[in-house]
Amino acid sequence: MQTVKQNKGRWTLRQVIFLAIIAIFFGIIYEVWSFAYYALAATPLKAVANDATLGVWLMAGPVAGVLLKRAGATTLGELLAATVEMLLFSSWGVSTLISGFIQGFASELGFAFTGYKNWRRLGLTLSVITSTIITFAYDLFASGYSQYSLSLLATLLIVRFLSIAFFAGILVYWIELLVEKSGLLK
Amino acid sequence: MNLKINPTVLLVTILSLGILLTFTRSVWLNLAMIIGASLYLVFNRPAFKKILLIGLFVLPLAFGTWWSFIVYGTGDTWHNAWIFSTRIYAYVWLGIALTFTNSVDELLFSLVQNIRLSATFAYGILAAFNLLNKIRRQVKIIRYAGQVRGITYHFWQPQLYFKAIIVALTWSGDLAEAMTSHGFSEGFSRSHYQTIPLPLWQWLIPIGVLALSLSFLVICQPW
Repeated sequence: MQTVKQNKGRWTLRQVIFLAIIAIFFGIIYEVWSFAYYALAATPLKAVANDATLGVWLMAGPVAGVLLKRAGATTLGELLAATVEMLLFSSWGVSTLISGFIQGFASELGFAFTGYKNWRRLGLTLSVITSTIITFAYDLFASGYSQYSLSLLATLLIVRFLSIAFFAGILVYWIELLVEKSGLLK
Repeated sequence: MNLKINPTVLLVTILSLGILLTFTRSVWLNLAMIIGASLYLVFNRPAFKKILLIGLFVLPLAFGTWWSFIVYGTGDTWHNAWIFSTRIYAYVWLGIALTFTNSVDELLFSLVQNIRLSATFAYGILAAFNLLNKIRRQVKIIRYAGQVRGITYHFWQPQLYFKAIIVALTWSGDLAEAMTSHGFSEGFSRSHYQTIPLPLWQWLIPIGVLALSLSFLVICQPW
């Protein structure tokens, strides 16, 4: 009888469902959050609103990474979250998919630099740095940041770094600690 | 008239156009995308009211972008303001040209049948999607349960996410077990009740649209 194939390399059905449910949870939690973003986004401060809230959108990737601790989990987690966002709360359209992939890949790179060995402070710190740099470079093109004045650009970069460091770094680390303490993933 | 493009082909078309938009700067190209997407939508009897709502919903974002370039931009600020505000609409319109004409099932099944996405991924995602309303309710339950004990969970605290993760862990285990016991076999080929055709000529659509857009950019050098 064909049942479940035993292979460690592949994604299991349970892991996929787990990632997708987490992505939807994050999507729903974001919904509440997006109202704050909206209030700011209708003013010239839109770019600042963008960068100050960016860390929240980046959380799904590293959370998936530290929970599943495997190569590809971060990119896939973020891409799934982006897919969910596009299908459910489609106010960013197709750019959600593209930026989701880029964000996931950017966060993943930090963990990859540790050889997928460190999923704690070092891995998360590197992940924060790589995702800040890469997503900023992407926005230079996609959101036209290259056309802003230098002083605004510097502000945006700092705001973005702080946002990503808190939400996709520190907060994810706290979540990881809680999960570890609970012993659920043993 | 119903002129439906295979969901996978449409996804590829839209993604490549999205990437093209990211690295080019032209108001007319953005408008052309919006018009093209609208035409495709009209041919596929969309929910006009929903489209209108999304259009309004995006307006503050586009306006904020426009205004920020006027205030903080360098170089040709007016041009930039129009490029990046119309681009937001172009992205969104490309997105809804896909999501308003295809259900999640159709898109996922098409990816499985037409470009061999792993069935584990497709059905795993689908399983989670069907829990959407339950997940929505669960977020409320977690918050209410906290409030009963006098605790408010904020989104900047890890507790809310932690509880969501516990639920995801339980549900994913249960669902995977249920699916396996109902005969879902990971990594084995499966037959399909509904086949989604992908005539080879349809691959000309993304190639053609991309070539057309590129030549429009190069030859006309639109504003």
